[in-house]
Amino acid sequence: MTRVLVVDDDPVIADLVAFRLTRLGLDVSVETDGQAGLAAARELRPDLVVLDWMMPRMNGLEMCAALRADPDEALARTPVLLLTAKAQEPDLERGFAAGATDYIVKPFSPRELATRVTAALPPGSVAP
Amino acid sequence: MTSLAQAVFIGSLVVTLLVVVLLVAVAVEHGARTRRLARDARRRAELTPLVHALLDGDAGDEAAMTAAPALLDELVLELLPQLRGADRTALQSVLLDRGVVTRAAGDLTARGAARRGRAAVLLGNAASVEHTGALVELLGDRAPEVRNAAARALGKNGDAAAVGPLLAAVTAGQPLPPGVAGMALLDLGVAALPSLRAALDAGFPVAQTLAAELLGLHGDPASTTTLIALVGDDHRDPHARRAAAQALGRIGSPVATAALADVLLGSGHAPLQCAAAEALGRIGDAGGLRALTTGLRCAPTVDVRGACADALALTGDAGHRQLVAHAQLRSATGEAARSALDVLALSRRPARQAAAA
Repeated sequence: MTRVLVVDDDPVIADLVAFRLTRLGLDVSVETDGQAGLAAARELRPDLVVLDWMMPRMNGLEMCAALRADPDEALARTPVLLLTAKAQEPDLERGFAAGATDYIVKPFSPRELATRVTAALPPGSVAP
Repeated sequence: MTSLAQAVFIGSLVVTLLVVVLLVAVAVEHGARTRRLARDARRRAELTPLVHALLDGDAGDEAAMTAAPALLDELVLELLPQLRGADRTALQSVLLDRGVVTRAAGDLTARGAARRGRAAVLLGNAASVEHTGALVELLGDRAPEVRNAAARALGKNGDAAAVGPLLAAVTAGQPLPPGVAGMALLDLGVAALPSLRAALDAGFPVAQTLAAELLGLHGDPASTTTLIALVGDDHRDPHARRAAAQALGRIGSPVATAALADVLLGSGHAPLQCAAAEALGRIGDAGGLRALTTGLRCAPTVDVRGACADALALTGDAGHRQLVAHAQLRSATGEAARSALDVLALSRRPARQAAAA
């Protein structure tokens, strides 16, 4: 089963994203900060990470950069979708510079998020 | 035991008893609060699947929805500002169906300011466009916190018809702080752009200044021509012209270079000249080099010379050469050039260190 890791310190958002992705038939795990998210990514080896930017302990950009720098090449290549309220152009540049695969600005459409997750995963990962 | 000792004993006993009663009361209150929070968390956890089901339009029978506690409305209201698209529309319908929006609309005229403010916030979160008029009226409320809440609500409800009233409210008899109006106008997003462009030529200078700042933050290229006309017009308010110069810098179109160069060398208003120099630096067009170099040499104030030097540092090798040449001078010009070169060297250091690593 395709695994997705959702890392967001806002439980309302994390639950909603998990709900939408579970509907796609994905196996979803949730963490609430970057440090726990990084540890979970190393343990679960998800197929995709949905990542908030502003979080305690380790923020999303730091976690994304740490993932990209991981010695495990497969883990370092995991698609990362940043989901953040930071909407300015320089923020977007910083997000992609840190290694994000895609970028969604809050307020967001959970249906659009589901579509982008589907697009970022290998064909056939998501239930039709 | 003497009467004094007896009095001391009784006094101590009373104080001890009071402390014990106080500690018991605190413990009881703490316990009740913990139980309340746990109960709320449990209820929220129970209701969350219902909210998610509402997003898919399969929340079960209507009676169950109607019977759901008021906590459901809180959950929906927490989620709404984070959403857009079909999911947002689905949750707005829930608030309408449960009568939450109607009750809030009724509270807009309540006697208590807190109640009016809460109602405005709720209508903003519910993105209730049909209440734009009522929220606009609240921009003139006697209580400043209600005016602010109404402005924020207008920003969230996404109705571009609120742009004009929000701009007008910053100059009203009981004015709205420009920062609050600005945030609301930013929340309205690109829908506000046509009205903001029109506002550059209408209304009071405070509103023109705010409109120019917001157009700059949006990086709106369609407003370039109007901003150029504003920045170059000596009869207009200098604060509005300064905001226009800053906006042109953010937009970054070389079309504005000539107008900004004229302002830098022709205006007698130092803050406006500084803004023009900064904008020329941001645009980075070679056409601005001559004006910036002249400003560095001849501007009457140290601030303007400094702004010209900083801008030259942003205009590539040609600007850098001008700074190096002027850094030899023993004057305010030389000092500004040396300072800009120092800042440039500092900003380049991390890149060099990264390259070396």
